[in-house]
Amino acid sequence: MVRGIEDRLFHGIVIAILVLCGAAAVFPLLYVLSVSLTPFSEVLKNGGFILIPRSITFDAYHKLLTESNLPRAFWVTIYITVVGTALNLAVTVLMAYPLSRKVLPGRSLFLFLVVFTLLFGGGIIPTYLVVKSVGLLNSTWALILPNLVWSFNVLIMKSFFESLPEELFESARMDGAREFRILWQMVLPLSLPVTMTIGLFYAVGHWNEFFQAIMYVTDRSLFPLQVIVRELLVQTQAPLENVENMTPTETLQMASVVMASLPIIIVYPFLQKHFTKGMLLGSIKG
Amino acid sequence: MHYRKMSAVLTAVLAAGSLLSACGSGSGEKPAEGASSSPAGDPNKVIKLEIIETGNNLPSPDKDFVKQEIDKALKTDLNLTVYASGDDYKNQLNVRMASGNFPDLFQVTDRSALKQYAQQGLLLDLTPYMDKLAKTKAFIGEESLKKTTIDGKIYAISKAPNIPYNTYWIRKDWLDKLGLQPPKTTDEFLTVIKAFAEQDPDGNGKKDTIGLTGGKLGAFYPIFGAYGVGEPNTFYVKDGKVVNSLYDPAMKDALGFINKLIASGAVDPEIMANTGLQHQEKAIKGQAGVIWIDWPNITKEQFADQIKKVNPNADWIQLAPPKGPGGQNDGAYDIGGSSGIYAIPKSLEKDKEKLQRVLDLLNYVSDKETGSKLVQFGVKGKHYNETDGKVVPTELMGKEASFTWLYQFTGRPEMDYLKVKFAPQAKFIEFANNQPRIKTLGGFVMAPEGYNPADASRFIEEEIVKFVYGKRPLTEYDAFLKTLETSMNFKPYLDSAMKQLNELGYGK
Repeated sequence: MVRGIEDRLFHGIVIAILVLCGAAAVFPLLYVLSVSLTPFSEVLKNGGFILIPRSITFDAYHKLLTESNLPRAFWVTIYITVVGTALNLAVTVLMAYPLSRKVLPGRSLFLFLVVFTLLFGGGIIPTYLVVKSVGLLNSTWALILPNLVWSFNVLIMKSFFESLPEELFESARMDGAREFRILWQMVLPLSLPVTMTIGLFYAVGHWNEFFQAIMYVTDRSLFPLQVIVRELLVQTQAPLENVENMTPTETLQMASVVMASLPIIIVYPFLQKHFTKGMLLGSIKG
Repeated sequence: MHYRKMSAVLTAVLAAGSLLSACGSGSGEKPAEGASSSPAGDPNKVIKLEIIETGNNLPSPDKDFVKQEIDKALKTDLNLTVYASGDDYKNQLNVRMASGNFPDLFQVTDRSALKQYAQQGLLLDLTPYMDKLAKTKAFIGEESLKKTTIDGKIYAISKAPNIPYNTYWIRKDWLDKLGLQPPKTTDEFLTVIKAFAEQDPDGNGKKDTIGLTGGKLGAFYPIFGAYGVGEPNTFYVKDGKVVNSLYDPAMKDALGFINKLIASGAVDPEIMANTGLQHQEKAIKGQAGVIWIDWPNITKEQFADQIKKVNPNADWIQLAPPKGPGGQNDGAYDIGGSSGIYAIPKSLEKDKEKLQRVLDLLNYVSDKETGSKLVQFGVKGKHYNETDGKVVPTELMGKEASFTWLYQFTGRPEMDYLKVKFAPQAKFIEFANNQPRIKTLGGFVMAPEGYNPADASRFIEEEIVKFVYGKRPLTEYDAFLKTLETSMNFKPYLDSAMKQLNELGYGK
């Protein structure tokens, strides 16, 4: 490939801009990490702003792990993320696959029902009533079941299944495979990218679970991570009457942020290749 | 075409669904009762009580010794849930009120919310139960009941009154360095903060210090006080009449002087953007010379340590409010204010057994000998000891008992409480408490229909900021009041507030 000077200039500019964007994205993360590792007095001495910690301490992390409600909340979050995502995927696949088959009787009705929920929702109070009347209040199920399926993900998955060549299904059927076997042994292995992507969507959703926990759970031992992290973060504005409460230092707050986001950040690179493939879904119609 | 049919089916399905859930809420969760016929029920039966409020740092139930002690004493199973952010709390409360899943005791955010819930018939009228709540009443004081009375009925319990914490704090070491005395008048105050900003009191050769900082207009409350006016939009009695500070003739003078302070360049340029404790951070970092703040946030061990580590020479002392043409007041203090009001849902009326336990609970935490000590200091013999009737904290108190305030549903005897918990700070507590203040009455006022307090406050703050920053000349002050009255429904609010306060006996 021969590149002219213009081409090189163009690439140079593009790279420069991207590096700047990348730096802008890394900058706040770096700040959070540095503050979380630096003794708070050191932070204050530097005018409350540091990027490279000069003296490192893991005190804040130690404190969070031993003296706060964080470890317990971690387990709750891990539990709802793992169990929730597995159930989400199972239900989404089982819904998307039949919907992608043109032979399904009443397909347009079911599709309409799915799309309908995209546009209209019950609102907070009716949803709360439903959750309450089926006895889910104050259980981890209240964090999993109400959002078991996101219609949007069903549609993405359905359109991926539809893009698989029809001949594949015909030949499988000729070899005597029934629908479950086709789904399990052919469709799913072929749809790894979309499954991973959607799984990640679901998992991140569960990991960031906050609102439903605030609404449906009043038992402290069932609070997920984000609720506890928020508690640490908004404490600086706590009412004065709690004079004897220790205000968490910025170091402690940042450490809680790091602990809450690190696991998800770690997961991303492993799913990256599927992720890019999955994100392109439906953008090219064959 | 068949979409229409479908939506008809859908509507039917949805309607059926909502019906079902409505039925569910009616019959849901009520334990099989009616078995015991006596109204007070079996005193030994353990009853679950659900309580929600704002707060934080509640330990898990197995470490929560206050819950365990109360459960033991009252045969209850307390489930207290605290919400760190006020918005989250409001969401939760509103959903539960709307869906009929009432907590057994809950915090009401303010008097307007109290009125709204009372009008919707959601709150239990406590007036007939006052005999049963004798201990509670004695603890919080007759006067406190006024705060939760609407149309002659008591709808909630207000915490026992608290005391003011805020004063100006000033860097003594900076004063000494520049050879200045603590300012006694507003003019001296101006000179001092100007010197702090300009004469490099931290000696680093850079002009990087701020004279005065604080949270928004709060930094100027004592200045308002020096002119004898309350902070913007407060009610108080002046010359035997109730006035609103915005209509106090001295307000203009106060704004004029604040404008002078700001124009001198000595005031924190970010003052109106300081949220949370940003101003405190500036003080700890050694950027500011004067700050208006509460004593805990500058003298608590945690912060004192930080100050020492950052700047070993820093010496913060309290400053009496500067004298001005209108007197000397450390801002205003709302005598109608309360640090928390708690209500019981009307639905509990039918569940006598449970109601009795809630009343028991309120009485228990108000019992000076038992419950109140528990929720103030922790467990006797473990978190504190008593010698000659005085509470002596143990080391464990500081470590374990810092969350007990969450259970102070009826408040605490503030001064005694603080002196036990903050013995080294006793003189700061007294000093802050002893400063003269304008007694404002906002806490007694309920906003009438059609007046939106949040909108009005925002508008008032915006305009006041324009005046003090010189963006709008003070000659336009009357025009500002006109706009306020016409566009914000302020006039009906004003009239209603005056009437309410007169009825309570103020300004008569």
